[in-house]
Amino acid sequence: MSSRALNDDEVLSEMNKMVAFIKQEAMEKAREIKVKADEEFAIEKAKLVKQEQQAIDAQYDKKRKGADVAQKIAHSNLTNKSRLKLLHRREEQLQELFATARSSILTLAEDEGRYAQFLEGVIVQGYLQLMEPKVTLYAREQDAELVQKAAEGAAESYTQVSGREVTFEIEATLSKDSAGGIKLASGTRRITIDNTLDERLRLLEDRMLPEIRKDLFGPNENRKFYT
Amino acid sequence: MARQQFAAQHSQGIQTLLEAEKEAAKIVQQARQYRVQRLKDARTEASREIDEYRSAKEAEFRGFESSHAGTTSNAQTAVDRDTEVKLQAITDAYEANKDEVVKKLLDRVVLVKPELHRNLTKVGGTEAQ
Repeated sequence: MSSRALNDDEVLSEMNKMVAFIKQEAMEKAREIKVKADEEFAIEKAKLVKQEQQAIDAQYDKKRKGADVAQKIAHSNLTNKSRLKLLHRREEQLQELFATARSSILTLAEDEGRYAQFLEGVIVQGYLQLMEPKVTLYAREQDAELVQKAAEGAAESYTQVSGREVTFEIEATLSKDSAGGIKLASGTRRITIDNTLDERLRLLEDRMLPEIRKDLFGPNENRKFYT
Repeated sequence: MARQQFAAQHSQGIQTLLEAEKEAAKIVQQARQYRVQRLKDARTEASREIDEYRSAKEAEFRGFESSHAGTTSNAQTAVDRDTEVKLQAITDAYEANKDEVVKKLLDRVVLVKPELHRNLTKVGGTEAQ
């Protein structure tokens, strides 16, 4: 390197070199910035997209689960309604059956022999439940005579069975529409027994339900325990 | 004369260099602007992609919903048919057995079995209980 001063041409060329150098540095820096910018662009975009995608996925998962649950609920509702329909139908049939029975008992009193026997039995049962020395019997008007005879026979049976005596009086005050049978009351009218055909049928309707169910519709397939 | 020329040359040189620096700064500034723009682009492009994704998911969900509505109505008809069959079976069983049951009821209505209460005993004569 000469230590002499530079001449004009050399100055110019040095100038150009410096200018070019400055430009070159700037271009390189700019390129670096651009490359980094592109990288950051890709990263930022991917991050944003992934974030939102996750949120959307979670949202739709929840919607789907909600739809599933709603479907299960609807399904269960269907099954419920179906079961209720079945139960309704059974109940209807049962009521029909009881109505038939109730109208049938009105004819029971016509078989005189059986009816008289029934009356005597029912009166004895009444005596034995009351265990009273004095009893009032209530019968239908049309049964007054039958009941008189039956009550006397019954009193004898009662003494045979329990060793106790009973006296009775008859009041023919039961309604004519009743199917038959008697009501009893203790001497002081404090204790009453309803032993009419209607009441007995009502009690049977209630007590015999399991048996009736089995006879009418077959045993319950879902039942696992029988005592 | 020479010194003036010399001074003029100097300042010209410095001028050129200053201008070169300005140019350089411009170039770098452009690059920086490019970066800023890229970041904005990232946002808008991401937003667009997200919307696309969302509508795709929505369409998928709608498809799923309509198919499930189909299964529900199928289940409904199947259950209804099944119920009808069972209802008919109930009525048939009833018709077949009702007479027997009514007879049973009537027989039991008149069936009486008078008994002394199990805690009591027969007495020889009248006795207060």
